Amino acid sequence: MSEGQGGASAPASRNLIRSPRDFWGGLSLVLVAAFAIWASSDLPGMRGFAFGPGTAPRMFAYCLMALGFGVMLVGILTDGPPMEDYSFTGTFGGAVLVVALIPIYFFAAQITKMVPSVSHDVVIAAAGTIVVVVLAFLLTHVAPRGPLFITAATIIFAIAVRPLGLVIASYISLVISANATKEVRWVETLAWCAVLTAFCSVLFPYGLNLPLQLWPRF
Amino acid sequence: MDLISNLAFGFSVAVTPMNLLLCLIGAVVGTLIGVLPGIGPLATIAMLLPITFGLPPVGALIMLAGIYYGAQYGGSTTSILINIPGESSSVVTTLDGHQMAKQGRAGPALAIAAIGSFIAGCFSTVLVAALGVPLTALALKFGPAEYFSLMVLGLVFAVVLAKGSVFKAIAMVMLGLLLSCVGSDIETGQSRLSFDIPELADGIGFVTVAMGVFGYAEIMRNLEQEESREIVEAKITGLMPTMKDFKDSFGAIMRGTALGSLLGILPGGGAVIAAFAAYTFEKKISKNPERFGRGAIEGVAAPESANNAAAQTSFIPLLTLGIPPNAVMALMVGAMTIHGIVPGPQVMTKQPELFWGLIASMWIGNLMLVVINLPLVGVWVSLLRVPYRLLFPAILIFCAIGVYSINNAPADAIMVAVFGFVGYWLVKCEFEPAPMLLGFVLGPLMEENLRRAMLIARGDPTTFLTRPISGVLLAIAAFLVVIALLPMIRGKRDEVFVESES
Repeated sequence: MSEGQGGASAPASRNLIRSPRDFWGGLSLVLVAAFAIWASSDLPGMRGFAFGPGTAPRMFAYCLMALGFGVMLVGILTDGPPMEDYSFTGTFGGAVLVVALIPIYFFAAQITKMVPSVSHDVVIAAAGTIVVVVLAFLLTHVAPRGPLFITAATIIFAIAVRPLGLVIASYISLVISANATKEVRWVETLAWCAVLTAFCSVLFPYGLNLPLQLWPRF
Repeated sequence: MDLISNLAFGFSVAVTPMNLLLCLIGAVVGTLIGVLPGIGPLATIAMLLPITFGLPPVGALIMLAGIYYGAQYGGSTTSILINIPGESSSVVTTLDGHQMAKQGRAGPALAIAAIGSFIAGCFSTVLVAALGVPLTALALKFGPAEYFSLMVLGLVFAVVLAKGSVFKAIAMVMLGLLLSCVGSDIETGQSRLSFDIPELADGIGFVTVAMGVFGYAEIMRNLEQEESREIVEAKITGLMPTMKDFKDSFGAIMRGTALGSLLGILPGGGAVIAAFAAYTFEKKISKNPERFGRGAIEGVAAPESANNAAAQTSFIPLLTLGIPPNAVMALMVGAMTIHGIVPGPQVMTKQPELFWGLIASMWIGNLMLVVINLPLVGVWVSLLRVPYRLLFPAILIFCAIGVYSINNAPADAIMVAVFGFVGYWLVKCEFEPAPMLLGFVLGPLMEENLRRAMLIARGDPTTFLTRPISGVLLAIAAFLVVIALLPMIRGKRDEVFVESES
């Protein structure tokens, strides 16, 4: 537990949660464990004295759950520093961007059914990029820019690299990522991203001989 | 003598032009990230793992090892000149190193740091070579029960030495173990916890977790801090230390090397702890401890020797037992697995060129580092003028392309982003991610050995206690946990050991 931040000096507060970092951290582990126990419930367990596929995951998950409760208990019984700003919004902001991809996948499937000439990948790349960027900018009102734009840039790279090729995907992703800090300077950013894109397009496919496609497929 | 002929063989592997070049690249990259604050060896090695794909395994490991010990050199430069530790293992060097710089003795401080590191590097290279054979012989006697207990001990060390609450560290290990279960079962091949998502059928990639939890989470955290990098132009006049400096620091270098070597071998140890311990030790045995913090040259020599020695000796458990003692070595396991090498005692017999070549390259790398660092100090310092807003997009795109290229799977890149904010959340809740990574790497091995041991003992769990070696290992582990929990019960915990290579 780190020193300072007034945690120790605060008198035994009347709140139920005296050390929020422990409490919420512990709770999230309990939830992960509960999810894993549920997800592994259909796996066969011990057969005689031999382990089944489900034995180890369940064992680890129950241990994790017990430890998670232990950490939560520490959060209730002892005093600790408060949560840092943005702890929740930063994490959930990133999660929202990833979850937003699920409807886009369904949407893209519909479009491809209606207009068979448009490839599924391209729809996802186009719609996904727009949605993720708009969402990221909207969320900056409540969440820190760092996690939002780092996540957004990575998602956009992932959905764009197949249909659009390395060059375009990297460039878009780099420019988006530059928004992760407030001190973005546009001219400098656009130029610097071009340099980086050029560097990556030479290094990975040629320098390292990785089978990456550079340009769009159509 | 065997040792000499083995080392000679190693050098013959290491001095091939290709391996020399890779060693140099590793050393330069290591120095670079050592100098730049906000990016550590862990994130860099995770980032570069996919790149080593196309290299021969020996060369790949030589390069990655160079990054790790190179970072220990580079970190000292910024600590001394501008009071910013480029690396967490150089935090203590700022205390006396920067004071020396303020007194106009930056040159000797830098030189002693480099010389100390070099001596430590030479010594630990020999140590790795000498301990390799006997430890491997021991490891070959290990059965599944012993291996399981050894891994328990390794994880317990990691927990005990981690920062903050022991509870939380154990929880992190458990989370890592649980994550390692995702994928197909080792015996039956049945898919577990993968929800029929094809991308998860092979399990969660090691690189994905490491990059997300260390690389991405680190960027997210750095972006929250205001940039306040002042470049203090320290004049470097005369690199050579005086005779008195040499005399003062010789003992410190030797003690730092010994302490660092020891802490490096122990699981859970590593460069950061070694540097702290060496500094504290020097201060305790010094005749006039009040000099420390005011520019004592021992305060530079000891931690810098220790962190370099530890960085190298931490390869011992990895190469002989196949157990990574810290998070960086866990990444090395990842690198070896990418190349189809199973870390463990068989590496030495089956791939002697890898084992001895790597050891020999460490010595060569250390020599290169002295050359890279001392005359080129000015170049490295001027690199600090590169603002972070230009740096992080580059790191990001390297990670994204790198992880995508492993399997050509876009889903992997998305997984990195997911682990990025998972890591962000964990750090915000003061969970140390390093034990999680160790748990994740050791998970499959542990499960396999546990299952085998239980099968051999016909389901009798006391086998772990009744087999002598296994019993002793578990007893040490239990003892350590009790020691670690005692101060917590009293409500206090020592803050000296700060393991934060994240």
